[in-house]
Amino acid sequence: MSGLFLCGLGLVLLSLGGVGLWRFPDLYSRLQGAGVGETGGTALFLAGLLTYTGHVDGVTILLLALLLFTGPIATHSIAKGAFVRRERVEP
Amino acid sequence: MGLSGIFALALGLTALPPFLRLWQGPSLWDRLAGATGVNTRISLILAAHALLAGQELLLDVALAYAALGFLGVVLVARFGEGGAG
Repeated sequence: MSGLFLCGLGLVLLSLGGVGLWRFPDLYSRLQGAGVGETGGTALFLAGLLTYTGHVDGVTILLLALLLFTGPIATHSIAKGAFVRRERVEP
Repeated sequence: MGLSGIFALALGLTALPPFLRLWQGPSLWDRLAGATGVNTRISLILAAHALLAGQELLLDVALAYAALGFLGVVLVARFGEGGAG
């Protein structure tokens, strides 16, 4: 039951990250909202799925670690590329 | 429709704003952020269906999909960055 609660929390965080990616005004705000919502939502959803089904395996732990570590790396790579290409925002 | 169908429907609805950002992002970087979101949610749909419907093979597919999606996004970001990067 707590697994389903974690899954619901992860879905809420994922939808908040999606809304942030769609509604924020400039690029870096969108990247921040999407990065935070996606990383937290993914980790919560997969952790809830693992505790609900009890299927804690090497593959599932590897999937959780992969999704947890590659999200911030991808976000950082996009932000660094945009910054190097002089994508500026008026303060 | 079992629990995996409900989760797939909810994650698909969640994947709609990143898909719209991928569709009409003003710049390349917005499109890349949208692509990251869609990749993550598709991999989560695969993992949920694998664990809840008892199809263990899809777990490996989800793992490979997440790794290849991350690789593609980082590749396009490094290519768009240009220069010595």
